[in-house]
Amino acid sequence: MSLRSLFEQYHDKVQFISIYIREAHPIDGWWLGGGLFGLALKVTKSRAATDLYDPKTMEERRQAAGRCESELEYGIPTLVDDMDDTVNSAYAAMPTRLYLVGADGRMAYAGGLGPFGFKPQELMLAIEALLSESVAAAGSLDPSVA
Amino acid sequence: MLKAIRARNQTKAWQKLHDVHAPKAGDVAHDFELHDLDGKNSVRLSDFRGKKPVALIFGSYT
Repeated sequence: MSLRSLFEQYHDKVQFISIYIREAHPIDGWWLGGGLFGLALKVTKSRAATDLYDPKTMEERRQAAGRCESELEYGIPTLVDDMDDTVNSAYAAMPTRLYLVGADGRMAYAGGLGPFGFKPQELMLAIEALLSESVAAAGSLDPSVA
Repeated sequence: MLKAIRARNQTKAWQKLHDVHAPKAGDVAHDFELHDLDGKNSVRLSDFRGKKPVALIFGSYT
């Protein structure tokens, strides 16, 4: 289950928001582009970049986010976190994380920290459960359903 | 190499610090307002309240 297929399947019922946050593995940070790990990325044809420095300005961050959006091709519109990492910190999101917020403003699903806790399949199940609850609630309010 | 190890340790410490405060299922989601790639249009999470669920996908390019 890819994020793109999730988006294509549910975008009419769920608002998808991709939030670009601080680079997890930039050249000038915890870089994974060298050695055996870097080789593994090439062999597996990973689409993750290994040639990015950590953006130092908002403009650089927007450029990196644009490159990310166009090359990963999720099809999901991207918002960019600020340079203080405000939203990233509030959601403990680095390196990757998935959440589902119900229409009531409460968390319907809080995924684990990536990469190992990053599970689009779990998000899909949470979406299905949430949408089923909505249908059931609508039905219980419908006087014709008795 | 040493720089990468230091950065890894900093990242792990950052995650440990913030993960305990990460929203859990049932919590009210932290509201935020962020801008798009152009920096011109902003989106606020609470704008969708009462309208539709929102899937939040956090990540970067590396």
